[in-house]
This record gives sequence, C-alpha cells and structure tokens, in this order.
Amino acid sequence: MIAADHQTVPAAVGAWLWVAAVVALGVAAAAPLAGRRPALAASILSTIAGALVLGFGVVVLADGATYTGTWGQVLGLAPVAVRYDGLSAVFLVALGASSTAASLTVTGRRGRSTLEASAYPLFLLSMLLVLGARDAFSFLLAWELMALLSAILVIGLRPTRAVVSAGFLYLAMTHVATAAMLVAFGLLTGASGGQVEFAAWRTASPSLAPLVRDAVFALVFVGFGTKAGTLPFHAWLPRAHPVAPSHVSALMSGVMIKTGIYGLVRILVDVLGGGPDWWGVVILVAGASSAVLGVLYALMQHDLKRLLAFHSIENIGIILLGLGAAMVLAANHLAALASMALAAALFHSVNHAVFKSLLFLGAGAVLSATGIRDLNRLGGLARVMPLTALAFGIGAAAISGLPPLNGFASEWLVFQGLVGTAGTAPVPPLARMTAAIAIGALALTSALAVACFVKATGVTFLGLPRSSAAAEATDVPRPTRAAVMGLAAACIGLGLAAGSAVEALRRVAATLMPAGTSVTVSTAVAIPSVTAGPSGGPATTYAALAIGLGLSVAVAIGLVALRRAGRTRRVDTWTCGIAPQPAFQYNATSFAKPIRLFFRRVLLPEREVHVEYHPGTAFPVAMRYRSEVTLVLEDWVFRPAHELSIRFAEFARRLQGGALQLYLAYTVAAVFVLLLWAR
Amino acid sequence: MTGDVFAPLALAALQGVLLLGTAPLLAGTMRRTKARLQGRRGPALVQPYRDLAKWWWKRPVESSASGPMARHAPAIVLGAIVVAALLVPLIAVRPPLAGWGDLFVVVGLLAAARFILALSALDAGSAFGGMGSSRDVAISALAEPGLVLALAGAALAAGSSDLGAISAFGLATGVGLLGPAHLLAAAAFAIVMIAETGHQPVDNPDTHLELTMIHEGMLLESAGRSLALLVYASELKLVLLAALFSAVFLPFGAASDIAPLPILAGTTVGLVKVFAVGQGLALLDATMTKARILALPDLLGLASLLALTGLGARILLTP
Repeated sequence: MIAADHQTVPAAVGAWLWVAAVVALGVAAAAPLAGRRPALAASILSTIAGALVLGFGVVVLADGATYTGTWGQVLGLAPVAVRYDGLSAVFLVALGASSTAASLTVTGRRGRSTLEASAYPLFLLSMLLVLGARDAFSFLLAWELMALLSAILVIGLRPTRAVVSAGFLYLAMTHVATAAMLVAFGLLTGASGGQVEFAAWRTASPSLAPLVRDAVFALVFVGFGTKAGTLPFHAWLPRAHPVAPSHVSALMSGVMIKTGIYGLVRILVDVLGGGPDWWGVVILVAGASSAVLGVLYALMQHDLKRLLAFHSIENIGIILLGLGAAMVLAANHLAALASMALAAALFHSVNHAVFKSLLFLGAGAVLSATGIRDLNRLGGLARVMPLTALAFGIGAAAISGLPPLNGFASEWLVFQGLVGTAGTAPVPPLARMTAAIAIGALALTSALAVACFVKATGVTFLGLPRSSAAAEATDVPRPTRAAVMGLAAACIGLGLAAGSAVEALRRVAATLMPAGTSVTVSTAVAIPSVTAGPSGGPATTYAALAIGLGLSVAVAIGLVALRRAGRTRRVDTWTCGIAPQPAFQYNATSFAKPIRLFFRRVLLPEREVHVEYHPGTAFPVAMRYRSEVTLVLEDWVFRPAHELSIRFAEFARRLQGGALQLYLAYTVAAVFVLLLWAR
Repeated sequence: MTGDVFAPLALAALQGVLLLGTAPLLAGTMRRTKARLQGRRGPALVQPYRDLAKWWWKRPVESSASGPMARHAPAIVLGAIVVAALLVPLIAVRPPLAGWGDLFVVVGLLAAARFILALSALDAGSAFGGMGSSRDVAISALAEPGLVLALAGAALAAGSSDLGAISAFGLATGVGLLGPAHLLAAAAFAIVMIAETGHQPVDNPDTHLELTMIHEGMLLESAGRSLALLVYASELKLVLLAALFSAVFLPFGAASDIAPLPILAGTTVGLVKVFAVGQGLALLDATMTKARILALPDLLGLASLLALTGLGARILLTP
C-alpha cells in the first residue's frame, strides 16, 4: 500500500499506522449505513484513526523517512499517488490531534444523521490524502473531495436558509480558488514538459521564466489563500465555520484551513524554492492585515462560534507573518534564519490546530449544555462544567499567546523571525520596514486577542448566568470532557516542550530551504528551550520549561499564602446597596465597547437606542439597544463582486437556451475556432 | 572555583531582593512626592508596607458569586510579575534569571498577568469589575505595539532581543544616546509606561470614584491577602517597568562584571534611576488631569508611531 524509503522498524511501523488509519476511516464511513449502533462504531473508529494519524505523523517527524504509494486508475485517467515527507508530517500531527479529540466528542452522541456520520470519516480521509498527494491529479482529486465533503457537512444537516447561503458562498469561493490553482498547476505542468508530479516541477522550476513564476505565485496565493482564509479572501470563513456542527468546525478551523498553508509552503517554498523579496512582502502584508482585522472583528462578535471563526483569520495571519519572513530571508540567502521563521509558521500551524479545536469543542460543549451560542445570554457556566471551563481557559490563554503555553512559544518564534528580517543588513530597506510594521501589528494582535478571550471566557463561564437556560445547564458527557482536557494538556505540553518541537520543525524547514550563506543560530542550551539569534547577535533564549517551572513555584507560594489566610467570609457582591442582578454585569457587547470606540474609524460602528418613557414623565419603561459594526471588505468588495457575478450569470443564462440544436451549434463553432487556432 | 558559580548566584539574589523589596518603598516615595506637590504632608514612606501587613492579617472576604478563578488569580498574577521582574537587569547587565527569557517573554508574562486579573474581575458579577477589566484590556491593547516596537528598536541595534545583551551593548557603545532612533524609542516607552502602570493622564491610581476606575475597579471585590498580593503585584510591575526603561534606554552605571566596586556603584545608580522614573510619574500625577478615555488612542497611537519612526530611522541610518 505504502512503503518507506528505508527499511527500519519505525518506518515499517509508520507504514502500518497509515494503512490502519485508512482502513479505520473506510470502515467508519461504511458503518453508518449498516448495523445497530452505527454512529457509535463510526465515531469510535474515527477516534482511533485520528490517533493512528497522529502516531504516523510523529513517526515520520522522528524517523525522517518518506513514504510513497501509488494505486489504481481513477476514472481510467491516472493513478492516485502519495508521498508523505516531513512537511506532510507536521500537518498530519495537527490533523491527528484535532480529529482524535473531535471524534471523541461525538462518541455516545445520539441522533447523528447517517449522512453526517458517514461523510465525516471521508472528510478526514480526504485531508489525509491532500497532505500526501504527490502530483497535480491526486492533489486536486483529494482537494475537491475535501471541499465537497466539508460543504456537505456544513449544509447537509440543517439546511435552513442562512446555512445554505453560507454553504453556497463557501462552495463558490472554494471553487474560484480551485480554478486559480488549476491554472497555476497548468502553468507548472506546461513548463515541465507535461509532467504532473511535484518532483518534476521542482526540477524544472529553476528554468522557469520570471513572469511565469510570478504568475504562479499570484495564482497559488489566491488559491491557497482562499482556503486558508487570509484577507482579502476570507469572506466565506466566518459564515461557514459557525454553522457546521462543532466537531466539524473544530476540524475546519483547526486543520482544513491549514491545508491552504500546507499548499503555500509546498508550492512556493518546496517546489519553486522561494522567490524574489516582494513575494515575502506580499505575504507579510496579507498576514499583518489578516491578523489585526481578524482579531478586531472577532472582538465585535457575540456569537461564540463566529468569534472563534474570526480568530482563525487572525491566526492564519500570524502563520503568514512567519512564512513571509521566511521567504524574505530566504530570498536574501539567510538560510538559517529563514528556516527558523518557517519553523515558526509550522509550529504555529500545529499549535493553532490544537487550541482552536479545543476552543471549538468547548463552544460545542457550551452549545450542547445550554443550546445557546449568544454570549450575552451565557454566564456562570464554570459552576456546572468546571473541567470544560478550565480547559477552555487554558485554550484561551494559549491562543492569546501567553507563556508558558504553546501559542506563546510559536508567537515568540514569529517575533524572532520578524526581528531577524527587520534587523539583518542584506535584506532591502522596504522589506525591513514591512517587517518592522509587522512587529507592531503582531504586538497589537496578541494584546487584542487577550482582550477578546477575557471577554469570551469571562462572559461565558464566570459571573452570574444571564438566562434561565444558562442557569439550568448541566455538565457535558465524559468523552467531551476528556477531549477538551486532552487538548488542554497538549497546549501545556507543546508549550513546555517547545525546544524539542522547534528543533524537529527546524529540521523539516531546513530540508525545504535552499542552502545559502548562513547566520549562525545558536542552539546550545542545556534546558529545553527555544533559541534564536536574529541578526547574528548574541543568542536569544526562551527557556520554556524553566519559565514554566519558575511560574509554578511562584504561583504555588502565593497559593499557600492565600490558603493559610483563615476561614473565608462570603458576602454578596457590592452593588451600591441593592441585590446583585445578572443584568448589572458587563456583557460581551459592553465589554468590547472601548475597543469598538477606539477603532471606530476601522470598524465603522452603528448604534441604535430606543427608549420608551412612562407617559408624561422622564422615567424609562423599556429600552432597546442595537449595535453593529461594518465589515468593510464584505460590504465594499464582496457584495459588489457577488452582484456582478449574478448579473454575469443572468447574461450566461441567455446563452443557455436549453435547445439541443443550440448546443450542437456551439460545439461546431468551438471546433471551427479550434481548427483555425491550431492551423 | 566556587566563586565562578557563587558570584552570579549572589548577584542574582541581590538584584532579586532589591527589586522585590523596594517595590512598596517606590510607591511610598511617589505618594509622598505627589502629596508635597499638592500642598499636603502625605503618608509615611513606609505606609505601603503597613498597608500590605494590614491586609495580610485580615480575615478573607469573598463574593458569594465568585469561584476558583477569583480565589487563585492573585497568586497567578503575582507569580507572573515576579518571574517577569527577575528577567529584567537592574544593577548589572546580567538579569537574575539570565538565559530564561528575553524582552518578548517579559511582555508575554505581563500580558498573562493582565489576562488573569481581567478574567478574575469578571468573576464576582459586578458592574465595576467588568468596567475595569474591559477598559484595562482595551488600553493595554493600544499600549502594547508601542511597548514592543520601542524595545524591538533596541533589539535591532544590539542584534538580539535578550535584555542582558541589549543592556551590555548599550553600555559598551553608549547606545547612541542622542541618536534619533534611541530618543524616539525612549519617548514611546515613557508614554507606554504611564498607561501600563495606570498613572495620569490614563488612570488615577488614588481614585475610588466608581465611574473612572480602571485598575482599582478590578481589585474592588478583593480583600485580605488577595488584595495584598494584587496591590504588591502592581507595585512590583512599576519597579519592573522602571528597571526595564533604565536597562534598555539608560544602561549607564550598571555593573558589567562581578566585582565589589562595580556592584556597589550599580546598586546605587540602579536605585537612583528607578526612583527617578517613579518621581517623574508622581510629577505627572500631581500636575495632570485625567484625559477622556476616547482621547487615549491619540496618546498611545502617538507612542506607537514614535517607536515605529525610531525603527525606521534605525533601518535607514544604519546599514
């Protein structure tokens, strides 16, 4: 089925893990169609398959082998061919971790539809294939399967009007993206003499004309950037992700958008071997604007899942900052710094998969416990679901980039990549200045993320419940708690073991980088830590484990002091002499108000207040408040584009008369034109 | 032989004790200065220590609405700020926890403390907690780019984001004290420091008027040892930022090698610098009025742009 390039025990184990995962997913997809408790079997098998994929990814990363396989003829056209290498393995780890936890939360859930239970394992399988495909045909086949299956999972379950509209927007945008990729792949195939293998493109890439390379860059950036959800191609993401079931949202946000990052790295860095400075600068600009606007719009949301979806745009931005820095550095032959920055992007991809899956599964737990996604009706849930609240809090701290968790470690490394880009002499001034602005953008982003996750966590889990549904909630089943706690442990573990993780990722990144004159990057630190040396100066260290231990000791001392303080007297919160009411609390909308006003020139908020007074007095009896922000790109770019495409479709309909003679006439005309052209 | 191991440890311990021990004293001197400037006598210099002792022995009071978050938060907030403070050099160029983390780790730990404090303020379900929490995270979001960009400028010059390396580089080369890059970054850092430590015109540290509180609003539901830890944490944060300012922008006088005389000089100069920064803030407190919260983006945006201009100057002027 699949064979490693060398004969070692781990390599053989790896091959078997992959085969077992594929078989498990295949059976899981078939199970819902037969059997007595089909959905249970499917979800258990998916969980196992997730763990197997995780194991396979870790083996590939640790052992360094590559695995290849080729099977069958699809539609009599071409075989499906895969090759898993270190780069694939990084994303396999993300896929494995995320899908294990996501599948675990649906075990024991009743009332899963056959369609969803069957499409879900196939969706996992399609991502497994995307990450391994080694030629254009297999890649596009798996890519299209992934897009269609995820669209089925978004639309298929609750086809309400809003959901269908979100799903169709997703389908339309993902296909525009695929079209762009198709043209890019066509250009690469043409340039390498009709070969569709990525390896052949890599060999041919040095002889490509600069104009063709630039065209491929632009098309690939549009294609994969849309899937990743970077600005300005993000419109589908905050609509489609929240309406999917939570375990699917976790995978879409955690892993599926990462296949866009995988594609960018595979084609731009691996196949094309990097490009001129401005490619990196374009990616830096897209990354910085995605990061800042993603988190700003997230702050303005009061639907928990929509808020998380906007955060995916932010984190894709952070990943792109790492990738952009790596490409600028590689263009200036600073290989060691470039592979450090690329390792930062890869590390953040894995970390984001872990904490975003955790947060979406936590949001799913809140949704299943209360039936509510609106933050302004939640509150106080930490009392009924303490473990889920703790796990969500850890995930929130990790996504906000707080030490000693994993999100901080990868953001730290992205910062180092940007400082290296801004501070290293061979890099041209414009790119250096872009990197300097990106440092500020990343600082702003992480501070705004802190604000947003204080809001999301605090309003959901702390304080008093703001609705009866929140007050009467009960805890979620054990598998869900286990899943979120497992991912929270991974946030801590990846944070403390950041040193080893980054070493493994830097080895992967170094294999993708063309060799160049290198700035030494010191790694000789005894404590497991992340080390970087931007600009060739003295080494910079982040000793994650030491910081983690130091924090634990300091916090433990404080906790002992607090515990020994004596018996606690409990009284009501002081609310100026009247009994505390849930409505006194700040809610999601009021919490974000200072930021809404600070950034009013970007967010363009609208506000509407209706007050009804007691007749003839100044005493209000009822008050209604509405506040909206303007999604500038949606209103000014996407809606006009949408209207234009509808008008074009109406024009096209006139060509599609429905009469057979007409179509035959078109065919004849087309043949005639082709004959003229090929003459 | 043993001296090679012992001396750095002793230096680290001395710096740690100095940072952790003088934090309430700095608050005391600032309060005294402010009182004098306003024509009052003001409390004793050791009053902050007395306050901490008073809260330490009080019986704890907790809101019936709050839970584990509010109970554990003071220890986490203080823990994060203590570790961050020990990463900043004060009397020597080598920080107490040398090699553990750089300027981004310090900024990250401060953000962690803010995250936990802001969350715990939401636990009691009070309007004032939410008010303080929401304003604090919003103002910090405006301040953070200026803070990081100002420090990043120094990191670019030194070729490393390690605070010890930045301090040593500044000491060795005189940091180009009159260069535009350095001055712009120092100005940006000074503005940000006002916001981060909650002084006028951003926040009034002495206010307990509900509608204007920011930092105090978050402490409103704390009492006893919880309050003691949180107040001490904010006093320590001020020393930390003052030490960070002097390590990066005024590294003169810091000991670059371990010998009695430089250490003595470094201790004296270090304390003078930290207390001078504190007096500057007290002067602002006494002479400025609180700005409207909507005017803060202008002030803090100015800091970010100054820092960015400084970075630009550094990139353009140095090859």
